[in-house]
Amino acid sequence: MKHSTRDSAATAMSDAPLLSVEGLSVAYRTQRGWLHALDDIALTIGRGQVLGLVGESGSGKSTVVLALLGLLGDTARVSAQRLRFDGNDLLSQAASLRGRRIGTVFQDPSAALNPALSIGLQVAEPMLVHRRLPRADAFARATSLLAELGIPRAAQVMHAYPHQLSGGMKQRVVIATALAAEPDLLLLDEPTTALDVTIEAQILDLLEDLRVRRGIAMLLVSHNLGLVERICDKLVVLYAGRTVETGPTADVLAKPQHPYTRGLLAALPRPDRPHPGRLLPIDGNLPDMTVTDPGCNFRARCSFAIDACATPQALLQAGDDRTVRCHRAGLVATTPMPQPTVGHERQSPSGSPLATAEGLARIFRIGGGLSRLFGSVSRDVVAVDHVSLAIRPGEVLGLVGESGSGKTTLGRLLLRLIHADDGRLTFDGTEIPNAPKLTFRRRAQIVFQNPDTSLNPRQTVETILRRPLRRFGLARGAAVTDEVDRLLELVRLPRDYRARYPHQLSGGEKQRVGIARALASRPDFLVCDEAVSALDVSVQAAILNLLADLRDQLGVAYLFISHDIGVVAHIADRIAVMYRGRIVEEGLVAEVLKPPYHPYTEALLSAVPIPSAHAERRVRLAGDPGAEVSAAGCCFAARCPRKLGPVCDTDTPPRRQATDTHHFTCHIALAELAAAKAVL
Amino acid sequence: MTFLAGTNRPRTLVLGGGITVAIAALAILGPALTPYNPTAFAVRLRLSPPSLVHWFGTDEFGRDVLSRVIAGAHYSLAMGLGAMLISLLLGVPLGLVAAFHRGVVEEAIMRSVDLLISIPPILLGLLILAVTPPTLWKTIVAVGLVYIPIMTRLTRSVALGLLQEDFVQAAHARGEGAISILAREILPNAWPPIIVECGLRVTFAILLGSSLSFLGLGPQPPSSEWGLMIAESRQFIDQAPWIGLAPGLCLCALLISVNLFGEGLREALDPRLSGHGDV
Repeated sequence: MKHSTRDSAATAMSDAPLLSVEGLSVAYRTQRGWLHALDDIALTIGRGQVLGLVGESGSGKSTVVLALLGLLGDTARVSAQRLRFDGNDLLSQAASLRGRRIGTVFQDPSAALNPALSIGLQVAEPMLVHRRLPRADAFARATSLLAELGIPRAAQVMHAYPHQLSGGMKQRVVIATALAAEPDLLLLDEPTTALDVTIEAQILDLLEDLRVRRGIAMLLVSHNLGLVERICDKLVVLYAGRTVETGPTADVLAKPQHPYTRGLLAALPRPDRPHPGRLLPIDGNLPDMTVTDPGCNFRARCSFAIDACATPQALLQAGDDRTVRCHRAGLVATTPMPQPTVGHERQSPSGSPLATAEGLARIFRIGGGLSRLFGSVSRDVVAVDHVSLAIRPGEVLGLVGESGSGKTTLGRLLLRLIHADDGRLTFDGTEIPNAPKLTFRRRAQIVFQNPDTSLNPRQTVETILRRPLRRFGLARGAAVTDEVDRLLELVRLPRDYRARYPHQLSGGEKQRVGIARALASRPDFLVCDEAVSALDVSVQAAILNLLADLRDQLGVAYLFISHDIGVVAHIADRIAVMYRGRIVEEGLVAEVLKPPYHPYTEALLSAVPIPSAHAERRVRLAGDPGAEVSAAGCCFAARCPRKLGPVCDTDTPPRRQATDTHHFTCHIALAELAAAKAVL
Repeated sequence: MTFLAGTNRPRTLVLGGGITVAIAALAILGPALTPYNPTAFAVRLRLSPPSLVHWFGTDEFGRDVLSRVIAGAHYSLAMGLGAMLISLLLGVPLGLVAAFHRGVVEEAIMRSVDLLISIPPILLGLLILAVTPPTLWKTIVAVGLVYIPIMTRLTRSVALGLLQEDFVQAAHARGEGAISILAREILPNAWPPIIVECGLRVTFAILLGSSLSFLGLGPQPPSSEWGLMIAESRQFIDQAPWIGLAPGLCLCALLISVNLFGEGLREALDPRLSGHGDV
């Protein structure tokens, strides 16, 4: 009798999940009372399992990570029925487990590494501290760990400092430091969000590989559904501090049962299924989390909501291994996904170009001024290398490329916000000098990426919108008020928002004000510089729809800059792909997304994580865009997976004209590239 | 601005402002309030300790210390505020211009400022005051000049950060000129640290001014500048500590309250921290 109890206890121990969380609630003390960041969260991770935790900003996903690590601080009130990690209570013992048995990787690798310590020391430190290895031993192991994580010349990198490494390399080092103490569980909080898409693909491959080879359990926190699907067995979807849906990843994404999960998927622009219609945003904002709402907290934004949704909702079993917090889940699952609404049929813009750039170039000099007098070296970086392009009235030209490719600089050059070192800019038939007249300024405006820095925090919405009207002499007296009303209406904001300060607006609302400010002077040309990149998917869809409506309504042409090829493919008529200051491919959207394409475009498309789209072929780029580039030859030669040979390094690649509208620069023959299999 | 009417005025503003205003009122109304003539000798009463008749006691000439402290308040306030205004009005524009016009202009301004910083403040004061007969306004100018570099550097560094912000780029995209950008976009956002710095500068200016007077380079006897009073009380520190203690404590109270006032003003001027709360 005794015997069997012990046996069953032993089996229970080995079957017990590595991490088991039940009833985890976290509240922060604020001026307006307790803010309930997490409400009764449950999750389990078995040994060797990978769990995905997804949600938009404000969902509480990072709070989960901090609560597991015991790092929430004094302003937070944490309670849990169960917070167990391999038989230990995390509420009381997190401090002794984190770093040793629980490794963590945060979003920004440059902030995670200490700039004053060598890479070697930072990787070896957990081994010295937690495993008490002798110094020489720890350093030897650190070197082999770096090599295992795909860092070339690991022994040299051990002596390097963080600023000498690229972003992708730094994130590999951070992962190495997290693995150094040989933890059982790895917490990954948006590990690739700060990285370029081709680097993200490398890191994902690495995580996938770690999982297979080391059998390490992971909790992957992300806002990106496609990314989660790549490596997670199971998925937990959070909304405003509550679990709304859980289940096997592929299942949940293929057949979402909660309206929120479904909404997230519908709001995503997908490069593999481009359509001319509008996206389906989730209207409204996050609920006020200082007010406890017993009912479903998504009901205000939900198209399935009925009166019964105001009653408390429990997590219900919904088929194999799935739970969903919605009493209408059955209906949600069987209702077909809404079809995108098609705006009126768009004609391909034609006619003479509105803005034409010919050989625009900009060189940045690093290190100058007085320091040059004292012998420090200055170095020239060609940010934009003699780029030519044309945008017709009412046309949307998408500009994609990784960070550092010169997209933003090119955008500013086209607005003459920075002076060009070479080349010509023509706008509506007249040549625009480096210091343009006010008439050009009125007609060419800009929308920025970060809604938090694009509006002056000391000015009300009204002041912000009035200034361009006055500056360009467009309205006086009572007409100004009417004009401000018109602008607010144009970007679908209520009129009483005029009295608000930026901090009283949500991210999406701020972006709308930024768009209204750009439209105030009734421009013909807008540069949208990553205009939706800082927004959550549900809000991003709404802003993309707004921009598409405005283009149809007002006939404004956009240069739409983005690192996200899905977003660009959705809104643009044509796409230009930029790499290291040069445009390597340009064509109509449909042409760029299909072969023949430039090897860089191919890799870029292949790297995009898209939910429920299983790529048959993966193209991976080695290295990063910061690698040295030879002045002669192809700018992409150093990373090109299809590199022909020395010719790529020495000769400028010829321009290949695939169709009238589609061209790229590559040494590889057109027919050969056309024979490539599509990656999407 | 509406900050004075706001419902949740910061407590620091009320407390600091209250004490500062009280001291300022003493300074202005001083002659009418002093119970005794601050310069009248009364040899029989010399060095008498604090009592109901002479609240703060009397000094070595039998002068009433309370009356002298009240009569001296305006020196400290004038030195603090005057020097702060000089450093503010010269230092802030220099910093803004340096930040906006990178290159030669910036180098010229910042290196001159560095030059000024390299001279020890007391030495600079001595330089200006020692060659001509000391008066109050010269002390103010000397102290004001000393603090220009700090204001310039602070303003420049704050403005440099702000100039990178997108709303400034948006102003460039409207073709706004330098003055418009600095006045509309930069200055309103640069105020908070500048105001706090102003509070600090007032306190340091009062201290530096008092130190110069202590060295005999400010207002001359028989005036009752607080630093001068402390200097004169040195000989009697063991027999009659109240002579130095009274102006010393008043100096402390003034410095603390000005500091609190500056801090409170910063909070009140920030729309994120004051009445315009969440909706």
